[in-house]
Amino acid sequence: MNDNDSTSSNLNCKLGMKSILPIFRCLNSLERNVEKCKIFTRSDKCKVVIEFLCRHGIRRTHNVCFQESQPLQVIFEKNMCSNTLVIQPRVLAEAIVLFTSSQEEVTLAVTPLSVCLKSSSDEPVDVTSSVYSEMFVGPDEFDFFQIGVDSEITFCFKELKGILTFSEATHAPIAIHFDFPGKPMALSIDDMLLEANFILATLADEPSRASSPQSLCLSPKQKRSEPLSSNSEAGKNVTSKAPECILRKVAPKRLYPKETLTDVSALENCGSPIMKRANGDRSEVSESSVSDTEEVPGSPYLRKFSCMFFGAVSSNRQERFNHPFDGLATASDSEEDMNDGSFSTF
Amino acid sequence: MPHWAPVNLPAAFLLHSVTPGVSNMIAKLAKTCTLRISPDKLNFILSDKVANGGVSMWCELEQENFFSEFQMEGVSAENNEIYLELTSENLSRALKTAQNARALKIKLTNKHFPCLTVSIELLSVSNSSRIVTHDIPVRVIPRKLWKDLREPTVPDADVSIYLPVLKTMKSIVEKMKNISNHLIIEANLNGELNLKIETELVCVTTHFKDLGNPPSASEDASQDRNPGQMAEVRIDIRRLLQFLAGQQVNPTKAVCNIVSNKIVHFDLLHEDVSLQYFIPAFS
Repeated sequence: MNDNDSTSSNLNCKLGMKSILPIFRCLNSLERNVEKCKIFTRSDKCKVVIEFLCRHGIRRTHNVCFQESQPLQVIFEKNMCSNTLVIQPRVLAEAIVLFTSSQEEVTLAVTPLSVCLKSSSDEPVDVTSSVYSEMFVGPDEFDFFQIGVDSEITFCFKELKGILTFSEATHAPIAIHFDFPGKPMALSIDDMLLEANFILATLADEPSRASSPQSLCLSPKQKRSEPLSSNSEAGKNVTSKAPECILRKVAPKRLYPKETLTDVSALENCGSPIMKRANGDRSEVSESSVSDTEEVPGSPYLRKFSCMFFGAVSSNRQERFNHPFDGLATASDSEEDMNDGSFSTF
Repeated sequence: MPHWAPVNLPAAFLLHSVTPGVSNMIAKLAKTCTLRISPDKLNFILSDKVANGGVSMWCELEQENFFSEFQMEGVSAENNEIYLELTSENLSRALKTAQNARALKIKLTNKHFPCLTVSIELLSVSNSSRIVTHDIPVRVIPRKLWKDLREPTVPDADVSIYLPVLKTMKSIVEKMKNISNHLIIEANLNGELNLKIETELVCVTTHFKDLGNPPSASEDASQDRNPGQMAEVRIDIRRLLQFLAGQQVNPTKAVCNIVSNKIVHFDLLHEDVSLQYFIPAFS
């Protein structure tokens, strides 16, 4: 998006999906009729103008209002991951159909010899419990296969489905970069025209993985024009604290089941697990206790993924104890359509 | 990770021709059902409970028509059967992935919880083999409850008639559902069947003619009866609709047996699968 006004700075803004989608909806008719499309901004009027110059001298103009926004800077060096897989989206799509839509999460287990995609549901308790499914994919099905460390990561299934839909449109292979559980993973698509990076949180590996396997998932879509920037001091280290990054440890286990969550506040709209101060035991790695869905009334829970929370191992536990809500950004627009999980709300 | 361990009731079968059609049909007819495994047959059973509205179902398939290998061992030699309760949709979904399978295996296993494990070997586009496994949680039904799950006795019907095309029936009943909750199904030995709904404001009847009647089992009964006389049952329309919705394909044979004011019994044959569905009169 070019700013053709006098200021030469980049414009960071956000547009409603409901405004943009209908404009580009009918691809067939666009291809037939539109000769040129101009997109420019009128920052004095806070509008993005999309102009279609069509056949027969017809000009169609759409004015879409935008809001300034400051997207979160994601610090994640995908090339430093020990494990990298590149796969055709079609293969993943075949695996996806195995899992029911009620599955919230999926686990990817890799060894140098095999890759297994499986459901990470709880232990069954009765006949209405979810089916446990797993699919083994041989290394030869991958375009690129590099496993440095055996690993089993669990992440949000819904996000994976969304990313797949996106990648199937581009026909480009998906690269999956990851390390160990708890560390974020990246799914990236690198096409001629665009580069998309999806950074997802993964569940931290807990010795007693029992109840509420809730995870935080997010997917910032970043175009090539905005390279991933990092704080100078933090360098490329994912685990350090960066002021713009929200670092949070995702813990599947509830430490204090009796406590009810009172500080739901702004995070409720995001449907994200709430971070609580873990009283007492400071040597516990998992400080955040995660609520059960039932305790957060009205929480859309894992249905809305616009949160930009980003699970990673934080080295600075002490600070987080004292200021549990530091760095937690509030959801700005709760009425925004967050179902596609593709926009940050900050 | 769950640990694989054999159970007391081993049952392993290898499907050579996978027809997810049966499990799809069952999934539409009953949310939870009982799977009965015996040496020569598989049955899907729904017993008449209040929760189902008194509806019951008995679906039977000969195992030799579906499995190339079938091994089972029941509770004991005299009771060589296994009864499992499961969520029908779980099974139909699992079998759906097996549509282009090279091999399919179903096994009863116990890893923390009894499961029906479906192992599927798929041939992917790139010609490499892919193994998919689904563990469907099941409940093994104890022997003392088996008496509730016996094959229902077919009642002596007042009228037996062949059904019209089920798809047609379904679209009619769907429209009728908007007007009334109850439907009267009536038929006679002249091959006529009517679907009637009655409200204060309106009565709607759909007439089907020339359907034909199957030869009756007992000669006396049919001779006594006036062929034009209708036998009718008033039933809950939603039960009928649920039954019809489960029939995606028109069956090879479809018979409707009516016991006046008591019960309507549908007896269908879909190639190798027989289905009996009982809807009691609305009380």
